[in-house]
Amino acid sequence: MARAHIEPYVETNVAWKRMTLPGFGKGMRYKMLSFDTDTGACSMKVMFEPGYQLPPGMSYSEMEMFVLSGSLTIGETVHGPGAYFFVPAGVCMPALVAPRGAQVLMYYNYGEPSFVESDSDHPDAERHRYTAVNAYDDLSWTSTNFYPATASGCLVKVLKFDERTQAFTFLYCMTPNFWQDNISYHDCAEESYHIWGGGYFWRPPYINHGAFACKNGTLALGRTDSQLYNHFHFNPWTTAEENLSRAASRIQHWKPELYEWVATGDHNHPVDFEYPDSHGHAHGDVPHHHGNHDYGHSHGPGRRRVRRKK
Amino acid sequence: MKLIKYKRSREAERWMKQETREQKARYRKIVSEQDALSSRRDKWIADFLERIQTRGFNVHADVLRKIPREKIPKKPKRKFKVVF
Repeated sequence: MARAHIEPYVETNVAWKRMTLPGFGKGMRYKMLSFDTDTGACSMKVMFEPGYQLPPGMSYSEMEMFVLSGSLTIGETVHGPGAYFFVPAGVCMPALVAPRGAQVLMYYNYGEPSFVESDSDHPDAERHRYTAVNAYDDLSWTSTNFYPATASGCLVKVLKFDERTQAFTFLYCMTPNFWQDNISYHDCAEESYHIWGGGYFWRPPYINHGAFACKNGTLALGRTDSQLYNHFHFNPWTTAEENLSRAASRIQHWKPELYEWVATGDHNHPVDFEYPDSHGHAHGDVPHHHGNHDYGHSHGPGRRRVRRKK
Repeated sequence: MKLIKYKRSREAERWMKQETREQKARYRKIVSEQDALSSRRDKWIADFLERIQTRGFNVHADVLRKIPREKIPKKPKRKFKVVF
């Protein structure tokens, strides 16, 4: 697995390391939270020492940053705790200065941290997707709007939402004595950094977690890489493979027509008309479809592809 | 555009190797710590399975459903994997 399951992890007693990658200059230290060993994508807690400066420039990878403490002057604007930035690949950021130092979370989503000095965007940059918001000051808490929902006492502020993948980044809190008695898993990878306490996890899809209890309350920054659906159940011992199979089976019941269309050999080239250059190729991945029967079955070594009658 | 094509520098290659080593060590430590909790975890699970029979299982939000004893899952013989 490119990014291993890191859970639970507490960074508070871990030593800071000096950032040695080209472009970042002196005065940037970090603690690695999780790391994709294939791509270099990573989540880090970063400390900018007092006086740290970075000239205007861009990253090759999409990047997110959240200010935990201290302040950053970016261009002519001062950003304090709660400031959140979503910076698409190639988007040029103004000069960054940390006059009195700052601690931030930095997420490089598709490649290792990179910085290229530049006064303008890369030609492929999608500046319209750039987002900057202060999570503490600019947004209100809302209940979680995904169903089935978490128990009362869990509130969120959505900071970034990708309308295509439904990946999102969110500040969330749990009130003291929050509890929820179920086991959950998701179809997405899920990540969280606990702003109060320094706890962290990166959890790949379909891994059980729960039951849930929070004695003193939680404030955390969460992220997913696609849609978050709460697959609740009460069997603590199921495997990730069993959970994945259950999720796929449930789709058959939630969206039977869509499931049948996608799973049928003749129709499995889903195309998004908003993204015509990027579409799925399910040939071979989904070699057959059995209709909507509800009984168990198994496949011997000689299974055949079943095609729908036209 | 989530990633702009680029050629990774030698410094970045070295950094990747070092971080890969550290990530593997971090992962092994977590697995070891979680394995050491197995007897406490059995107690937590027993308590959870008891609560969902008496207080209920959170089906959705605060909607609770009591699970009958015959529906309570049995611990399988395979090793319980916590970290994947």
